[in-house]
Amino acid sequence: MILELLKKVLRVSKALAVKSPAQKDVRYQTMHPTERFRGQHTIDYETCIGCDACNKICPVHAITMKELPFKKQNIVPEVNLSVCIFCGLCEDVCPTKPEKSIVLSGGRYDMLSGGWHADQEQFWVHVDIPQSYIDSRLEEEEASRVKKELAAKKKAAEAAVTDGTLKIQESQTGMPDFVGENI
Amino acid sequence: MEGDEILMQNIKNILTSYETEYVEDYKKVWIKTKLEKSSDLLEVAKALQENGLRTISTVSATDFLSENKIEMNYFFEDILTKRNCWLKCDIPREIENCSIDSITPLFAGADWHEREVFSMFGIKFTGHPDLRPIIVSQDFYDKTPFRKDFDWDAHEENIVENMNMIAESFANEEEENEKKLDPHGSDTILNWGPTHPASGPIRLKVHCDGEDVISIDPDIGFVWRALEHLVTKKDFIGAIVAVERLCFMDNINSMVGYCQAVEEIAGVEITDFAKYMRVVLGEVARLSSHMMGMAGFYNAMGLHTVMMWNMDMREFFLDFLESYSGARIATAAIEPGGVRYGLQPNMLMELQSALDKFDKTKDDIRAIFIKNPTMKLRAAKLGIITPDEVLDYALCGVVARASGVKTDIRIDEPYAAYADIKMDYVTQKSGSSQDRLIQIFEEMEQSIDIIKQAKKHIEEKIESGEFDPIKDHMVKVPKKLPKGEAISRVEWARGEVLMHLVTEDKATSPYRLKMKAPSFNHTMMLNHLLAGETLSDIPLVFGSLYICQGDLDR
Repeated sequence: MILELLKKVLRVSKALAVKSPAQKDVRYQTMHPTERFRGQHTIDYETCIGCDACNKICPVHAITMKELPFKKQNIVPEVNLSVCIFCGLCEDVCPTKPEKSIVLSGGRYDMLSGGWHADQEQFWVHVDIPQSYIDSRLEEEEASRVKKELAAKKKAAEAAVTDGTLKIQESQTGMPDFVGENI
Repeated sequence: MEGDEILMQNIKNILTSYETEYVEDYKKVWIKTKLEKSSDLLEVAKALQENGLRTISTVSATDFLSENKIEMNYFFEDILTKRNCWLKCDIPREIENCSIDSITPLFAGADWHEREVFSMFGIKFTGHPDLRPIIVSQDFYDKTPFRKDFDWDAHEENIVENMNMIAESFANEEEENEKKLDPHGSDTILNWGPTHPASGPIRLKVHCDGEDVISIDPDIGFVWRALEHLVTKKDFIGAIVAVERLCFMDNINSMVGYCQAVEEIAGVEITDFAKYMRVVLGEVARLSSHMMGMAGFYNAMGLHTVMMWNMDMREFFLDFLESYSGARIATAAIEPGGVRYGLQPNMLMELQSALDKFDKTKDDIRAIFIKNPTMKLRAAKLGIITPDEVLDYALCGVVARASGVKTDIRIDEPYAAYADIKMDYVTQKSGSSQDRLIQIFEEMEQSIDIIKQAKKHIEEKIESGEFDPIKDHMVKVPKKLPKGEAISRVEWARGEVLMHLVTEDKATSPYRLKMKAPSFNHTMMLNHLLAGETLSDIPLVFGSLYICQGDLDR
């Protein structure tokens, strides 16, 4: 009786030694990894030129453009994954080279693993821009603005010097201040 | 003159004897014409029918808001001699005067197509035997959702009332049935679906006496997404994702049909490489659909093994699609101008392993499921469709060929690279449910053969340097298209898909896209096939017709 039982246990426990053909835990590892797999987006805010092309082509309006406090390149896409159909058209139209700013190919496939998401916010691909980047961009913009202004002033001054005599003869009033100073 | 030309000339002679704006050749097998008077329609249709054009592929309306008219398009086909006629005529747009003669008394296949146009555009077909709304739910009755001036937002605002109204009308229907039927008799109206394991989202209102079926009235539209309207809201590239949702099982070929129509209007010729890729991808999609079709047939009989086997095989083909496009099912892989991605050499190796898997498995499947004696006993004498019915009801694809009718758009009107591929009509004889299953299997073998030919050609040309698989896949299609109109037909997994595309001047999105899908005609046949049979035959016949609700409702 006991012998029989032992035999059965032995027979069943043999299965432990046999490797299962299903070797992959598909929650963390894909069965068929491909380069072009259209998964979760990655968005590069540094190269994005804010052209709005991805937003315009999106067939399901999954993309909204986040506004940034800059003068140029002041929008960046954010994707709602619960709306997205992963067609990849946004990546196709992205004009930045050589790397696209919005990429899904090769993206994460396991975006929903790890339990239920109670909050809709977790279905969003947000662009988290560090304050240091914003500051540096603002500084850059300020610097370029100042530079441009100076260049414009200089140009105006030069122009004024060359036609200065003519203009003064024509009219003594309405002359910009700095022209007067130079004279 | 050759025989074909004489036959084409015959059609022209008929048409020129009426008042027409023009009669012209369109592509190789079409004659395009526009009638001056819509009242001539019935006579012209009758003359065409007597001349052999027995099939009406579809009826399509286009609403021209600015010109205050609705243009009707009729697509008459002669499946046997491959001559077709595209007939147009204008009718007034005002809802009171918006009517035209029904051709349903002449062409049985026009029945549901006219009902669809009636539901979407509010056009009344005088003389139609049964002009009820179809596809749309009760809240769209007496409305015209596909007209250009329909306010969708205003309709959506009353969504709660609309839903209540639908629920109420279901209850009323039940009550009316109770009154209509004899309470002491054994007549019942039975709902088969939409929750039946073999039905999918469709409801067959089966009027039965005990287990004998008296008549069947299919209630469709459970997955109506108004795709034809949806594409007009997208640009020409974005529209592919709506078109592919015709049915996921074979999404490639529907996109091919749409893209061909766009390319025709834009005047773009795609590269040879793209043409061959469309053949390869299309056949892979056809295979994956056919495998599900076989599985559906056996599921209806309660045997799920074949589905497991086919799914196993199908996974290899889907792996190829995934490597190529990045998605298994919703590939979005065909774009106007070619195919969307370049081809890497390792993908062809993956395709080869899928082909090997099929070759390894097919003998087993044939021995166990195709020659299955139980299946034969059950299905050999059930749901028989005669060749005449195929022509009258405009059946196509697997269903038509299983009845022995030689029709295949890939041969009749070759598109992509099918003109260079050696293939022949695969047909069966009796047109029974069993034959339709065998037909699906034999077409799978044919598809494998086509893939092998195309793959070999691509490999040779890549080796000789004529194809550049990375760069050749696309040519540029302008973003803005000129005013134009085109039709394109493709052999989809389930049969002929006809796309009728209309664009306005400097268009950035389609003005109107009519998609004629095969399941619509096949479902129309259900009443005809099942009246007089028993309840237990419904799943089997339904499964054998290879119906998908995606393209049934659109």
